[in-house]
Parts: sequence; C-alpha cells; structure tokens
Amino acid sequence: MFEKYRVVSVHQLLKEYIETGRIKIDKSIHEELTTIHDPCNYGRKSYKSFGEAFFEEPRWVTQQCCKNFVEMHPNRMNNYCCGGGGGAWAMPYDQERIYYGRVKAKQIMDTGAKMVIAPCHNCRDQIMKSLNKEYDLGIEVKYLWELVADSLVVEPWSEEEIKKANELRDAQYERDGVDLDEEW
Amino acid sequence: MEPITINRKESKLRVAPEWADVCFTCGTCAGGCPVTGVDGMDPRKAIRMAALGLDQELIDSRFPWICTLCGRCEYACPQGVEILKVLRRARTLRERDKVPGPIHKGVVMDLERGNNLGIPRDDFLFLLADLAKEMDEDEGFPGFYVPVDKKGANVFVTINSKEPFGEPDDMKFWWRIFYCAREDWTTASENWEGVNWGLFSGDDEAMKTLVGRIVDHMERLECKTLLLPE
Repeated sequence: MFEKYRVVSVHQLLKEYIETGRIKIDKSIHEELTTIHDPCNYGRKSYKSFGEAFFEEPRWVTQQCCKNFVEMHPNRMNNYCCGGGGGAWAMPYDQERIYYGRVKAKQIMDTGAKMVIAPCHNCRDQIMKSLNKEYDLGIEVKYLWELVADSLVVEPWSEEEIKKANELRDAQYERDGVDLDEEW
Repeated sequence: MEPITINRKESKLRVAPEWADVCFTCGTCAGGCPVTGVDGMDPRKAIRMAALGLDQELIDSRFPWICTLCGRCEYACPQGVEILKVLRRARTLRERDKVPGPIHKGVVMDLERGNNLGIPRDDFLFLLADLAKEMDEDEGFPGFYVPVDKKGANVFVTINSKEPFGEPDDMKFWWRIFYCAREDWTTASENWEGVNWGLFSGDDEAMKTLVGRIVDHMERLECKTLLLPE
C-alpha cells in the first residue's frame, strides 16, 4: 500500500529493535504480574481499515520485559474499549466516560495484575489517571514504549560517537537559533 | 406530525430504509456495548433511528459522542450493519461550533498553528534542547540530542502535543530507546503534531490536510520510515 515509505506503528519498531539485538532488555526489572490492554484503534479498527491488527506484537514485546504475564478476557478482537476512546478523554461527559470504563476496570481487577501496559496514549490516560482512581485498582500503568525504556540495558556511546553527535547538535542549534543559556 | 420521506438520497446519514430489514434488531450490538442504557440509547436504537429517518435527532443527540467509536458493535453484528460508520457520520454532520469539548478547537488550532495546543516553534525547540541536555549531562545518555529537520534520517517521528505541553519527560521514553538503538531519527520544528483530532471530530477534510503535512515532511526530509507513535 505504501510503496515509497515504510509506515510503522510503535509495535513493529519496538519488536524489530529487540529481535535484532539493537537494544538489550533486562527482564528482572519488572517482576510484578502484568497484563496488556488491546487498544481499539490498533485492533478491530486497524484490521477493518488496513487488514492488519496488532495483537501479538505488544504481547511479545511485553513478555520480553516481564516474566509474569496474564491475559484479560475477552481480548484481541473482542476486547473492551477503555472508555476514553474516540475523543471521549477530552469530551465534557466525564460521568459517562467513567461509567463506560467500569467494564475495563473489572477486566483488570479480575486478572489480579499489578501493572497494565497500554500501547496507546489515550488508553493509558484513561486507565492510569481515571479508572485507577475511580475503581481503586491500585495498579501501575505504563506505555508499551515506557516499559521498554524502563527495561533498557544502557550502553553509553563511545567518545567518537559523542563527539560527532555534539557537532551535529551544535550545527543544528546554530541553524535554528536555539540558545540554552538565554534567559526566559 | 408531518410525514417524512425516507430514502437513501434524502438520508443525511446515508442510511437506506432497507436497513430496517437488514438489521434484525437482535441486540447483539447493544448487549456488547458498555454505554447501552445511557440516555436511554444503544447502538441498535441509533441504527433504528437512522433507518426510520430520524437523522437529525440522532445527530443532535449526545449518543454519537458518548460512544467511543470502539467498533465492537459493528464487529459483532451478524448482519454486517455499519454501525460505526453511521455514528461517525453523525459526528461529521454536527455543526462545528456544537462539537463537544476541545476536539474541534484543537483541529482549528492545528490547522492554524501546527499543533493541537498551539505551542510556538521557539518554545518547542527550546524545550527539546533543554530536555536533551538533562539526558546528556545528568541521566546517563552522553551525546544525546533531538535531531530536528534532519535530512536523510531513517525514521521520522511525530509528537503528541500533550507531551511537550504537560508531560515533557514522557518524550524521553522513546528518546532513550533511540539512543540505545543508535537510530538515525528526526522530527520537525513545525507541524509535528501526531494527534489527528479530525478522526474523532468527524472532519475528513482537516484530516487530509494534516496527514498531507506529514507526507510533506517525509518528502522534504527524504526519510525512509514513518513512525506514528500514537
């Protein structure tokens, strides 16, 4: 479909980095029981629009970072929306949004998980900032890429790489008129 | 009460009256929807309203906006009724100044100023440089900076405006990953918004314009891969 450029979601890139060894993951950092939420837009709606749904990739990535994994039910094509989708997170109908989310909250509670991974900004906000509080879930919520970032084994760049990056940075700041010493 | 003519041409929602027969009113959609009952509504009733010519009543109701367009109803429908499409079209037909909440205002702001929250270019560039300096000097990522408008980079990345606006440190998750992967990546100094609120406000024209801007970045910077981290 897209011949000129490759268009990727967060899933392909994270999976590729781990699979090819471009990033190294420490699996011992996240020990708690972890579940993942299937965003509607990466599942059902992506499947309908592009014939491709992202169900297995986020599970694979999550399980590279977490030893203890549990599924919500139902999941994948039959997953429930978090309640914050379709712009509802920004809509003025808060009571309705929270009521909507009771189903997701129950799903999460039933897993016994202490951490929920959300591969979508909107779902993460609804689960972390609203459902967690309204339904006393006592969970930690992370973006899928936040989980990966928090699991990284960081190997700092070499002197040579740093020098080259600094040069590119300085040239860019010069071009764009960025001056960090300037008082605001 | 005036009689109403029902046919596909006159239906604002483009629902033909035959849909009244296609939909068996089995209630599978309503049974699987978490907001069934709110305002006495559910997806089955929304489709019935559309099939019976009550287009404007549905457009004026809160239901298409309380619905999150999750698509579970449409996926489960044994008759293939395009419930999701009808509800999104009901959003499209709402007068723009009556779109609830900030999503239409965000679309207008994005069209005018390049992102949903109207963050100016210089503030944005300063913020990126400031955060990058923290990573470079204090957080164990020596040499890190945010490449902006870098021609020939492998990956072009859009940004969710809520992050520079309210949760700037959250941008560092991807930055840490790019650092470790030694990715050759970039973003744009302007028109970098990755959240296309036209999708939710039902504004297809605005959506096209905003997607076009991302294509322009890809062309201008000759990047190979587009990452949409939404």
